[in-house]
Amino acid sequence: MSTDVRPAPQRSRFSDLRLVAHQVKYEQLAFWLNRVGAVFTVGFSVVFLVMLGASAGSQKVQSLGDISLVSYYVPGFIAYGVMAAGFTTLSVTLVVRRETGLLKRLRLSPVPTWVLISSILISTAIITLVQALLLVVIGRYGYHVAFPSSWLALLVAVIVGILGFAAMGVAISAVVPNQESAGPVTSIVFFVLLFLAGLWFPLPPNSGLAKFSNYLPVRHLIIAMDHAFGVPRGATPWAWHDLLVVALWGAGATLVSLRRFRWAPRRV
Amino acid sequence: MTLALRVEHLRKSYGAVAALDDVSFEVERGEVFALLGPNGAGKTTSIEILEGFIARDAGSVEVLGIDPGDRQHLRGLRDRIGVVLQELAVESFFTVRQVLERNAGFYPHPRDVEEVIDMVGLSEKSDAKVKRLSGGQQRRLDIGLGIVGNPELLFLDEPTTGLDPAARRTTWDLIRHLAAEGTTVLMSSHYMNEIEALAQRVAVLSHGRVAALGATATLGGRDRSEATIRFTLPSGVAASDLPITPWRVEGDTVEVRSDDELRALHALTSWALEGHIAVTGLSVARETLEDIYLALTRGDRAEIDEEPDDTKARTP
Repeated sequence: MSTDVRPAPQRSRFSDLRLVAHQVKYEQLAFWLNRVGAVFTVGFSVVFLVMLGASAGSQKVQSLGDISLVSYYVPGFIAYGVMAAGFTTLSVTLVVRRETGLLKRLRLSPVPTWVLISSILISTAIITLVQALLLVVIGRYGYHVAFPSSWLALLVAVIVGILGFAAMGVAISAVVPNQESAGPVTSIVFFVLLFLAGLWFPLPPNSGLAKFSNYLPVRHLIIAMDHAFGVPRGATPWAWHDLLVVALWGAGATLVSLRRFRWAPRRV
Repeated sequence: MTLALRVEHLRKSYGAVAALDDVSFEVERGEVFALLGPNGAGKTTSIEILEGFIARDAGSVEVLGIDPGDRQHLRGLRDRIGVVLQELAVESFFTVRQVLERNAGFYPHPRDVEEVIDMVGLSEKSDAKVKRLSGGQQRRLDIGLGIVGNPELLFLDEPTTGLDPAARRTTWDLIRHLAAEGTTVLMSSHYMNEIEALAQRVAVLSHGRVAALGATATLGGRDRSEATIRFTLPSGVAASDLPITPWRVEGDTVEVRSDDELRALHALTSWALEGHIAVTGLSVARETLEDIYLALTRGDRAEIDEEPDDTKARTP
């Protein structure tokens, strides 16, 4: 009969921060090793930018103050990357982890929930920043798109976007029943939203579509990114109103997540 | 002797359905204890309450001296327990070593990762991607993840369901090895031979109640029960001509029950030899764990196939 007494675990805030770093490392490994997510998030936006940039040629957009169409696509695809990583990839990953029992196992490990959440968010931020930097560099040196007029505004828009759309990703993962439907459901929602928000072509201001999109978060994130790049011509870098809308959607999604989030797979 | 687990008058309902209805049992340190019962009898619900995954409605529970319902001490408890779920919860694109190193980082006093790889017999696969492993190898990795934190108490929820017989045997050896090292094991299983092979004591759950509790070898008094002698009724012999009184005759199969099977056999065999009567299909059997189990859970069906979800997020 074992009666050995083991030393009481020593834990400190510092060791928990190390645990966050530990988790971030493996979240990164999981993301880059599972190529589907990496291709969908980073690969797609780079390929789209290159293709659309090549086909747009020297086309100008009058409604945005005669800037080149490519200058419209760079901030747009940074927004795409934020949403692909924060919303689509995250929600599918969560559903798969939940249904295979991985979330339940994590819940039963000594890792605190806040460590799990913050490491996922930090990991998503790393992915998105890598992707944003790639797009800025490709735009600048491939298509003469100016650097952002405010790097700080770009960073803030990326962070607010990640927090807001990650919350929406968690919320949708909670209502998606199983792994089979996770990919299709989130992709359809995502691409319809992108279309409505004018990612592929600038929406004429005051059009019905633009008015409708004003109620949805996607267009506001694109506008916030646009502003950081000074699009439309002469725009101030800070689109506070648009960031606020994204944040509000995030707050609403957080409430849904708190009510609906499940750690355990559905029993069959 | 110290207790690893103490469960008293435990109750849990899902809506109007009582998943656990006054369940009590104790498990000593170093013991392998099994929960046995049909689907919906309350095995997983019990385990989930003990792990602190779901909350109980009533009763008291102590796991390694800690109440798993007490959120303040839950993390300290989880440092000291290991969990293997019914689901094969392994990430497919990591290598065996990566997954184990990741999970070892969760615990204050983990086992050496190479030692765990060796214990679960995956030394030759340590750099292989998890998705390249066979089902049996994935299950062993899964158990490796359960023990990498060097737990004092290991929960195994149906550890060999879906494994082929050979993989089941290697998993048994691993569980025996852990038990020999002093790890307390609480397991559930559908397989009687598994429980006979591994568990010292067993609780049979039925409709959320403990239908029987005791040492595996003597459960339901089966070590003292009557033996059943079976044989084929020889042609041309009426059941009433037999030297021993049949308990029942089904078709041409005769069953005799006796608490003195030696004497009964002697009467039968000497009668057959002297009369030159051929007795075929002769067997002697005592009640198996399965007989006891089926008698205890007769009429049970999986009534709580889908337990309502009680595992939603709670803000920490």
